[in-house]
Amino acid sequence: MDSEQIIGLFKKITSGTIIEVIVLIVSAIALVWLAEKILRWLAEHLHSGRRLFVLAMIPTIRILIFIIAFVWIVPLLIEPTLQNMIVILGTAGVAVGFALKDYISSLLAGIIAAYELPYRPGDWIEVNGVYGEVKHIGNRVVEIVTADDTTVIIPHLKLWTELIHNANSRDANLMCVVNFYLEQDHDPYQVCRLLENVALSSPYLNLSKPVLVLLEEKPWFTHYRIKAYPMDPRQQFQFISDLTARGKQNLRELPVKFTHLSTYHDTIQKNN
Amino acid sequence: MTDSNHWQVIAANDFKRPFAPTVTRVQQRWQRFLRLFGIRENEPEEENNDDVEMPDTMEFDRKPAVDALNHHFEEWIGGKETVVSFLIDPPFSGTDDIARDWAKQQKWKLITPPDILEIRAVDIDDWWKKQTVKNRWLIDDLTRYLLRTTDGLSFIRTLLPQMLNGEFGQGLVVCDSWMFAFIQRIWPFRFSRVYCFAAAGPELLQQVGIHATEYSLRKLAARVRGNVGVALAVWPIEQDKDRKLPELPGEANDVTAFVLYSILLHRGLSGNLLHEVLPMVPSDDLNLQLLQLEQYGILRCNESQWQINIDAYLAVRDFLSGRDFRLDVF
Repeated sequence: MDSEQIIGLFKKITSGTIIEVIVLIVSAIALVWLAEKILRWLAEHLHSGRRLFVLAMIPTIRILIFIIAFVWIVPLLIEPTLQNMIVILGTAGVAVGFALKDYISSLLAGIIAAYELPYRPGDWIEVNGVYGEVKHIGNRVVEIVTADDTTVIIPHLKLWTELIHNANSRDANLMCVVNFYLEQDHDPYQVCRLLENVALSSPYLNLSKPVLVLLEEKPWFTHYRIKAYPMDPRQQFQFISDLTARGKQNLRELPVKFTHLSTYHDTIQKNN
Repeated sequence: MTDSNHWQVIAANDFKRPFAPTVTRVQQRWQRFLRLFGIRENEPEEENNDDVEMPDTMEFDRKPAVDALNHHFEEWIGGKETVVSFLIDPPFSGTDDIARDWAKQQKWKLITPPDILEIRAVDIDDWWKKQTVKNRWLIDDLTRYLLRTTDGLSFIRTLLPQMLNGEFGQGLVVCDSWMFAFIQRIWPFRFSRVYCFAAAGPELLQQVGIHATEYSLRKLAARVRGNVGVALAVWPIEQDKDRKLPELPGEANDVTAFVLYSILLHRGLSGNLLHEVLPMVPSDDLNLQLLQLEQYGILRCNESQWQINIDAYLAVRDFLSGRDFRLDVF
């Protein structure tokens, strides 16, 4: 293909066309920014499932706006015949693909993420041992904020290779687990009843979800776990604290003792 | 029932809220949406209020309601079965007062609720002996039998099976609708013989003294969810341009919701008991919340008991529903 043929693929570009393209790009970016701001603000005034629903609309709206802008801009620059489109997009795709392989891979993963929804804004996810709330899903990266208020930026690329743990996949139900370690000589039914009451008395508890108390005998202690759901995933740490404090306070009034294990026991336990 | 008495006792499962006209529903949704943006819009005025006669707040003639109870329970009272019936009492509906009037008329014994020490000790036998019940009885407020703390839930869970087994004989239990929803969670039993008053419609509202056009009464009945007591409190305020229904402060947060839910669930709590129910909220913060809610007209302190104001009930219910709290069905 000689240079004349390549030039023939494009339309005659005037200053008016350039201005129109710039205006379209700026408008698309401004619209995305505005939509994100409004939806985020609205989500902050809502709770539980309604909040997650509004947050989940952000990436979808962004992709829709960019697709509309792309479809609008391309015919301004290229003669929109099938042959021209295949040549231009194919050539550009190969060139950009080689130069920015990881970047393009992340962008594609971002688009797939918007479709498959492995995570949505407001979800609590764990990737590579980092646990936090999804605050922003960009074109290339997902931003999560940990419980210690640290922002972690993860490329969508990780979607291809890593395990993504989503604690409240697609709804507002996030199970919390609270642990208690007691010396073995006690009445387990009494402790189970008490721990169930501990969960039921917490104001953070989502009363429409089940409460489960489990116990497991270990070599040096009995391990109790309360499994329950807070009303809003954002309350998970306060919920765990509340259950722990209530549990400790009430267990002290029963004839049970908390275990006092040394780091030596802990190491052996881990090795087992 | 006579044609002029519109009080009706029904099975709680058959309760249906009055259906609001479409325009009203659209208006309510629009106002809820505006509230998200912090915009408070005045309620739309009624079409014609020249013929409005305002009743005394919350005061209405309870005799027709007592007659309705008599009519409904006629067979049950005459029977020999020692079964217990439940009467669900939506907040401020006046059902507890009606039940007390009815029990007095029937000469049924009014049971004294256990004190907080008895609730914690779960000593049902000792508490029941003190009641000296020889015949039929009435529990007029089941919220006094439970405190949402770790050691405050067992009393009711021990009491209910004994009661339903007929160990205490025949009796009527009046239970707050929010507490009933909570009890069904902590003691998941499919209760039978659960009744309530049918939702108030335009005819009943007229009977208790609210006179306006049929359309206005239908709107009011839907807005107050068929609750006569709330209707009597809300109606005069909505008719007075100088008065407004209380609204929650803009900075209401999780703690506000916990405080309001706890007070609603227990139908009023003292400061000390509220602190026991919400131990994770520091006393200072709790006091601040209570005072702020009092300032906004949401709460009032009556003989050291914090209670929801009747005219704030709809705002509180709306607020808790937006946060996915377990609501009553009324």
